[in-house]
Amino acid sequence: MHRLGGVGIAAFDRQKLSTQSYAQLSNQLSKTQIDNLQAQLTLFRESLLRFASTHREDIRKDPNFRHAFQQMCSNIGVDPLAGPRKGGWWAEALDLGDWQYELGVQIVDVCVSSRERNGGLIEMNELVRILTKLRGLEAGAITEEDVVRSIKTLKPLGAGYEVIEVDGGKKMVRSVVKQLDQDQTIVLAVAQTHGGRVDEQMLVREKGWTEARAQAALQNMLLRDGLCWLDEQGEGNTVLYWVPSAMQWDP
Amino acid sequence: MTLPMHTTSTGFLLPSIHSAPPFFTQQPNPATQATLTEYWTKLILSYARFRRLFTLRVEDAETTGGDWDEVLRNPRINRKLPPSHLQYIISQMVTKDLAVHEPAKQTRSVLLYWRLPEEWAEVLHEWASSTGQLNTIMTFYEIVEPPIPSELSSLPISLLKKVIVILTKTARAQVIAVADGEGVRFLPGTPGR
Repeated sequence: MHRLGGVGIAAFDRQKLSTQSYAQLSNQLSKTQIDNLQAQLTLFRESLLRFASTHREDIRKDPNFRHAFQQMCSNIGVDPLAGPRKGGWWAEALDLGDWQYELGVQIVDVCVSSRERNGGLIEMNELVRILTKLRGLEAGAITEEDVVRSIKTLKPLGAGYEVIEVDGGKKMVRSVVKQLDQDQTIVLAVAQTHGGRVDEQMLVREKGWTEARAQAALQNMLLRDGLCWLDEQGEGNTVLYWVPSAMQWDP
Repeated sequence: MTLPMHTTSTGFLLPSIHSAPPFFTQQPNPATQATLTEYWTKLILSYARFRRLFTLRVEDAETTGGDWDEVLRNPRINRKLPPSHLQYIISQMVTKDLAVHEPAKQTRSVLLYWRLPEEWAEVLHEWASSTGQLNTIMTFYEIVEPPIPSELSSLPISLLKKVIVILTKTARAQVIAVADGEGVRFLPGTPGR
């Protein structure tokens, strides 16, 4: 009977030989693969860089383009701001780091200067609106996404800047280290759907709260946190509360 | 809600906060009230400057038809400044030397310093020298009721006296007794001596 690999002592030698050549072949194969991959990666990096530098202006000026670019980066797992060096080679190539930090500074500016009237809480749309006004037309439009990104870059400062989402999906930016409790978040959401206005009865009616709970939440926001303002001149001399961060102000 | 700015019938541009309903209520939170007081102070002084008003009374918040209606009331949102809140704002303005009780020894009426007395002193001296009145004796009446309207027209006499005292301290004015009361002689000189 003829067996593959033959019989006798020679078979062992032959097997050893073929195992060796298999290993060699596989080494060779993975080496070419790695080389290939490296070449591809270099090429990719180069073309991405070339893309970034040719479209730098577009990226900085056009929010739609910037969004698409950032989308692309996150799809392939590249963070335009991350990198080994300060700001990252990527950020340097793009100048996007500076752009982002500049926006960060403007966000801090708006948050701090509006803090006394809104208690350190500002609605996202309002923030974007003021920022756009502040930056003027030449700097190009900015979007909510840009603001969220910039706020992330502010995190290492530890100033407590944070984007929070209140009931109903509205985003707000908080610029003070202050924990909002669950009830306050709900009050903010209710106020937002009524143009900043809120009262005890609204909370009882819409959220099924007891009067005591509504009163406690509103008093805390009013007295302890300064997040809302009192209004004693509602219809029929009722007491109302207004959340300034849910109102749209002209400077 | 959006808070629109509003131009009144006298042409004054009310700031956006004037359309915020809680702006008119005195706030229990001291930090919030401090912000409010600051906004009110700014508003009152700029309106006073705009209309050349020198006096503000608590009464102005109690009755209608006065000079201050446009500011102390907002009929568009059906709010008005309660007299007690106005009284508080007035007292804060006095504390910050932006107003003085006038007459003295009461707290319901103030003279507003939309220009500080020191600033009025410069205005007065500048006016006297530019109109060639240096070294002549003038009565107070001639200053506040000049034939050609000036920056100083209808300046309250009590404020004028204060301003002249400031000028005498730098030797730029001399108070002189004249037949029917007091007069003043302005002297050339440089400010800040």
